[in-house]
This record gives sequence, structure tokens and C-alpha cells, in this order.
Amino acid sequence: MSAPTARAPWLIRGLRSVVAGWNHIGDQTAFYIRAIISIKDALIYYRTETIRVIAQMSMGVGALALIGGTIAIVSFLLINTGFLIAIVGYSQTANLGVEALVGFFSAYVNPRLAAPLITAIGLAATIGAGATAQLGAMRISEEIDALDVMGVRTMAYLVATRLVGSVVLAIPLCCISLLVGFLSTQFLVQFTYGQSSGIYDHYFHTFLQPTDVLWAMIQVVVQGIVVMLLHTYFGFNASGGPAGVGEATGRAVRASLVVLTLVTAAVGLALYGRSGNFHLSG
Amino acid sequence: MAVHHPAAKPLREIGAFIAMSLDTFVELVSSPWAWREFIHQSWFTARVSLVPAILLAIVFNAFVIFLLDVLILEIGAADNSGTGAALAVVAQIGPAITVLVIGGAAATAMCADLGARTIRDEIDAMRVMGIDPIQRLVVPRVAALTLNSFLLSGLGTMVGLFADLCFAVYVSGVNPGSYAASLTLLIGLPDVIIAVIKATLFGIAAGLIACYKGFTVGGGPQGVGTAVNETVVYTFMALYVINTLLSAVLAQVQH
Repeated sequence: MSAPTARAPWLIRGLRSVVAGWNHIGDQTAFYIRAIISIKDALIYYRTETIRVIAQMSMGVGALALIGGTIAIVSFLLINTGFLIAIVGYSQTANLGVEALVGFFSAYVNPRLAAPLITAIGLAATIGAGATAQLGAMRISEEIDALDVMGVRTMAYLVATRLVGSVVLAIPLCCISLLVGFLSTQFLVQFTYGQSSGIYDHYFHTFLQPTDVLWAMIQVVVQGIVVMLLHTYFGFNASGGPAGVGEATGRAVRASLVVLTLVTAAVGLALYGRSGNFHLSG
Repeated sequence: MAVHHPAAKPLREIGAFIAMSLDTFVELVSSPWAWREFIHQSWFTARVSLVPAILLAIVFNAFVIFLLDVLILEIGAADNSGTGAALAVVAQIGPAITVLVIGGAAATAMCADLGARTIRDEIDAMRVMGIDPIQRLVVPRVAALTLNSFLLSGLGTMVGLFADLCFAVYVSGVNPGSYAASLTLLIGLPDVIIAVIKATLFGIAAGLIACYKGFTVGGGPQGVGTAVNETVVYTFMALYVINTLLSAVLAQVQH
């Protein structure tokens, strides 16, 4: 026997979904706050685990350790992006006969857009997705519950250690990605398009602003924390068997990609504005 | 089982991957076809990758073109804004975004799903019940990723060009007519076709890699995490190989 139909089922359904969405936001906020508070516990009680997680994140495990884990992936992505910047920048400027200014393009796009966004995407796709899959698999095979029963503080042991790891990893990762981006653009411009290194260096150094590089660094650290929070949330709360783990991973990467692009767009517009801080005449 | 030389392990991995790919291609054209799973997976992939692809296309293209426009406005060549936009969107950023989203969001999810099934011995259970996991699980996933990356490349290109148009016209003050007129200066039909083929081939590669890594997970939940990680690594490498090969083909076609 089913209950009698309510007066306005669409209204009730709508309200329920609004309330569910609201609760979901509350859940996430509570999780994030607890995770950030647990960082203290992780640093006091689980120092060995924290160091193990950092090592695992930076260098990778298994077959990945051979090629250097996340660091290799991010450099690989940045090499591609650097080439892309060189191809687009050189073709467009050569089209107008000002290919000397391609150094400007590298000095502007690399620290402002490519390095922060691509590094964070690399973080999300490798260690982020890996963390969601691992925590999700632990959740559905009830290993997290087992840890709880044994008296291990799971928020600190599983989530906060990864947060610390992502912060520690973000700074060298950003340096590497900036360096790789600059060098790969310069390589393509000088060796494939045959521009002299003096011209390139002159315009590159003229337009490269040290504050841009600092902002890129800060942006990567913040994005690393956000990515790790999102991914551990989705992994920690996975449900619905193996398919649920897959779905959680997909949703986590989707959420972090959306957040990252929005953050990059907002930061880009806020810091550099419409004119782009650009002064050709000096 | 015979004792293997450790140096032979990478070769064995490659061999097993190729064997599974061949199995998949054979099953792809033979008669029992898991339509329901294909539709489910296509829908899931689309749901996971649509919004990030659109947002990435807007942000990435608009910012690159915005910075380029800053320069060419300064030297008074704003009419040429469309050339760089077309080159960036069609030939470079469009395929790159397809790869990031398909490899980063969809393939990792498939690998995590299959990996979690493997460590719980569900794949072996399917084999025991006489169900072929390649036919039931791998073929629909590979087909779904291929279809989605084919569609996403077109969508990414459209969104990118439109975002560039909006940025060029409303932010940089370029004339919309001259933007449209300068679009085809460096980019033509062969580039568009190559870009679509690139994305499609990439979908196939990402699907095969994700399924292979998912099926060969070992060592519990830690293994699933590692496998997801490796999926991303190998799919991005596949991108590099496919990109180089097709760029060489394009260079041959145009000369």
C-alpha cells in the first residue's frame, strides 16, 4: 500500500532537493573544518605516516617510481604547454612581423595561467584521483571502519596527512613547472624557429615580473589544499560498491577541475585586470 | 608459473596490454554487444566531463588570447586577433583540453571502478559464471570514451572560438568582422580533421589503458590508488605519442 499522494508533489520534491543540497554543503564544510583541525594531530601522532605519504606523493610507488611520479607528470604536461605557448605565440607574432616579442608571451602566459592551472590539474589527476580511489576502496571494504574501531584517528591518519603532503609538495612542484614551462618555450623558439637567444632573453626579462611568479606560487599552494580537500572528501564518503568508487573518483576530478578553472579565472582577473599590467613603451 | 627474469616485466606488460587491446577490438565488432552498459558509461562520461571541458575551454582560450590581444592591440594589429585564436583553439588547446578531461576525469573513474572490482575478485567471479569481462565491461567503456572524446573535441573547439570572440570583441575591442575574417589565415580543413582524429584516437587509447590498468590491479586499496595514478601517466604519454604522429601526418599532407 502506498501513502496517499501529497497535495503538491513537485513542490515537496523540489524542497527536499533544496534541503538535501543545503545539507550536502554543510557536510562538506564540516568535513573540511575537521580535516584542517586534524592536521595538528597528524603532525603530532602520525609523523611517520605523514612522511611516508609525502614520499609516496612526490616520487610515486611501484612502476611510477621509475619515472618520478607526480613531478614527472607535471613536468611532462608543462613541456607540452610550453611548446603550445611557443607555437601559438610565435605564429601569431610572426604573422604581424613582431616575432621578437614572443619572449613577452612566454613571460606572461607561463606564470599567470599555464603554471598554476596545469600544476593544479596535474595534482588533481594524479595524487588527487589516486587518493580518492584509495580512500574509496578502503571505505567500501570497511577498512576505514576497522581503523576507527582500533582507535586510530582516521581524519588525521588518512585525510590530514594527505593535506600536509599536498602543501609540502606544491611549492617545489610549482618551481619545477615554472622552470620547465619557461625552458620548453625558449627551446622551441630558439631551436625550431631559430630566433637568436639575445632577442628572446631581452624581451623575456623585460616583461617577466617577479610578483607574478610569487602569486603563481601562492596560487598553487592554495589550489593544492583545495584539490586535496575535495578529493579526500569524495573518497572518504564513497558508497555503493566498486562502481561507487569509480563514480566518486570521476565526481571528485570534475569538482576539482571546475573549482580550479573558476579560481584561476577569478585570480587572473583580480590580479591582472583588463590591461594586464602591460607597458610596451616602458 | 615459471620464474621470470625481472627485466622482462615491462615487455610482459606491453604484451598483455596489446593482447587485451586485440581482444577488445575483436569483441567490438562481434555480435553480443552490451548496449545497456555502453549507454550507462557514455552518460556517466558525459556527465563527468561536460562541465569541466566547457569551463576549461573558456578560461584557457580566453586568457591566452586576452594576453596575446594585449600585445597586438599595443602595436595596432587588432584585426589579426582571430588568427591566433583559431590556431590556439583548433590545433592546440582543443585537443589538449579533451585529453585533460577525458584522461583526468573519465579514464580515472573507469580505472577506479574496474580496479575496485578486481581487488574484490568480482572480475574472476564473472569469468567463473561464464561471462566475458572484455565483452561485458571493456568494450562498452572503450566505445563510450571514444564517442565522448570525439564529441568533446567539437564542443571544446566551438566553445573556445566563441569565448575568444567574446573576449576579443567585448574586452579588447576588436571588430567582430575582422576576427572572423582572420580565423582561416593559418588554420584550414586538414587541421580540423586532424584535430578530430587526434581526439578520437586518444579516446580509444585512454579507454584501453584505463581498462587494462583496472584489470591488473594487485595489492588491495593501495593498488587501486596506484593504478589510477598510472592510468593518468600512461594516458598523458599516449597523448604525446598520438600528437607527434598526427602532426607528422599533417606535415606530410600539407607538403
